[in-house]
Amino acid sequence: MVEIQNLTKYYGNKAALKGISFTIKENEVLGFLGPNGAGKSTTLNIMAGVIPATGGSVKIQGYDIAQQPVKAKRCIGFLPEIPPVYPDMKVREYLNFAAGLKGIPAAKRKGEVERVMERLKITDVQKRLIRNLSKGYKQRVGFAMAILGDPPVLILDEPTVGLDPTQLMEVRNLILDLRRNHAIILSSHILGEISAVCDRIVIINHGEIKADDTIERLEEADDSGLVVKLKVQGSSREVPKVARSVDGVVRVDNIQFVQTGVYTYDVELENDGVRNALLSALLQHGLEVLEISTEKRNLEQVFVKLVNQKTKHSSLEDLLQEMDDEAAQEPAAQPAEDKSAADAPAEDAAGTDGKKED
Amino acid sequence: MFSLYKKELQSYFLSPIAYFVIAFFMATFSLTFIQEIGNVSSSTYTFSFSSIFYVNIFYFIFLLPLLTMRTFSEERKNGTETMLLSSPLNVTQIVMAKFLATATILLIMLAASLFYPIITSIYGRVIWSSLICTYIGFFLFGLVCIALGIFISSLTEMPLLAILLSELAMLMLILMDNLSVNSFLSGIPVLSDVLSWFSNQTKFYVFSQGLMQFSDLLGYVTEIAVFLIWTIISIEKRRWSRR
Repeated sequence: MVEIQNLTKYYGNKAALKGISFTIKENEVLGFLGPNGAGKSTTLNIMAGVIPATGGSVKIQGYDIAQQPVKAKRCIGFLPEIPPVYPDMKVREYLNFAAGLKGIPAAKRKGEVERVMERLKITDVQKRLIRNLSKGYKQRVGFAMAILGDPPVLILDEPTVGLDPTQLMEVRNLILDLRRNHAIILSSHILGEISAVCDRIVIINHGEIKADDTIERLEEADDSGLVVKLKVQGSSREVPKVARSVDGVVRVDNIQFVQTGVYTYDVELENDGVRNALLSALLQHGLEVLEISTEKRNLEQVFVKLVNQKTKHSSLEDLLQEMDDEAAQEPAAQPAEDKSAADAPAEDAAGTDGKKED
Repeated sequence: MFSLYKKELQSYFLSPIAYFVIAFFMATFSLTFIQEIGNVSSSTYTFSFSSIFYVNIFYFIFLLPLLTMRTFSEERKNGTETMLLSSPLNVTQIVMAKFLATATILLIMLAASLFYPIITSIYGRVIWSSLICTYIGFFLFGLVCIALGIFISSLTEMPLLAILLSELAMLMLILMDNLSVNSFLSGIPVLSDVLSWFSNQTKFYVFSQGLMQFSDLLGYVTEIAVFLIWTIISIEKRRWSRR
């Protein structure tokens, strides 16, 4: 449906996009993630033909946006960051105009306008001046404009900004509904939003693609290390030692003081089964476990890590792997004792364990 | 393109601007008409419409920028430019739609001013051929101003700045030949010749005398085309540099 190849954009000498490529298939919602100023809007504007690219190509249903702009633009519904509405027009008037602009034949315009108003639930404000509408309504009017004429490709630049929670849910459902016969690209910097509706995400920063993968695979990679948070009464020196002695404990870090004699620890386990072994080991040593909770690696942390990466990566797994390596080295520096144990966990820990039991 | 034209025309009447401009034009036209009529005291003086138009050309400078100021600067301010640029229209069509819509307002103004010749023809004799010629000259000059105003509007995001710049530029257009005959420039014949070619006042003067020269017609049409092409270039240029 949409093919983007080696897209570059320069403003003077400053590179906004440094050769990005990805594709959007039919019936797919692609989440386009990145911090502010990463090049999200630039990319979407280029895709919609608002601004030309310096190099590379965008093909919409086989039509190149630079070579055959009219044919390509007919396949696009574009909702820019700021909803492009005329404050002096009434909602219905505006949608009628937009329908004409998009080349919808006059006979079909009325029905089409009614359809999109119904879809976005703005029928009740159709006779009001857009100037007097709230931000959420303006956003929905803009959205209605984008889906006028039912274009097969929808480009939505932050479609849920300014919506209240109910409207948010409605728009989410609408996107999921539209997915059935559209290719949708949707930009956002809100991760919850992306994970709620997108099948695949592309993360971009400094004009480069940092990751391009499905949500499922991201989550899979996410589950690879199970981290449990423990709150234990006992020495902050003894607990990590005991924990590391258990088979299947990958690392112990992030030791935080709660109150005298009570600390919390993040313990990464190979799998779920290790948890019981860990608990019994702790209890055997007379350490009282006050609290245990499972902590997943937050999608937001992944995002932050990814955007801060300097180098280019082909897949998410590589990145997650690298993050793990980094994480293993960094926090270990905090408690001095941790470091040696983290570097050579198994044998060392087994040795101490043996002594203790004697 | 027609729907954009329709919307543009509609938006002039959604705000008070079109009404104001038309009313103001009628007011100045009426005032000059009354003044000219008042001058007809002796039987040797024949009253002609061309002098009315001649005066009104100067009022135009202050009126037309009001119409053209918002054409592009407001689109930019509202963020609606992205909608136009992502629509299946190309930049030329967008510019033409806006130009034609403003030209339509000008036509309405001229149609309203027909009131006076009609009144005059009831009580006297109007040389229609000469009048039509004057109208054509007036209309073409108006189109030049509109094209120039649209071009200036495409350069800035601030409507007020667009007004001031357009007024200045239109004044230059009209006073070009006054410049060319001043003592300093007339010393350089080549420069004064070139300037007088571009003079709109002389072109209009010829029209108002009931003469239609092909060179003047071509001159006006060229000016309109140049300004419109500049507008297209300016928008294309900004497409490249915008974020």
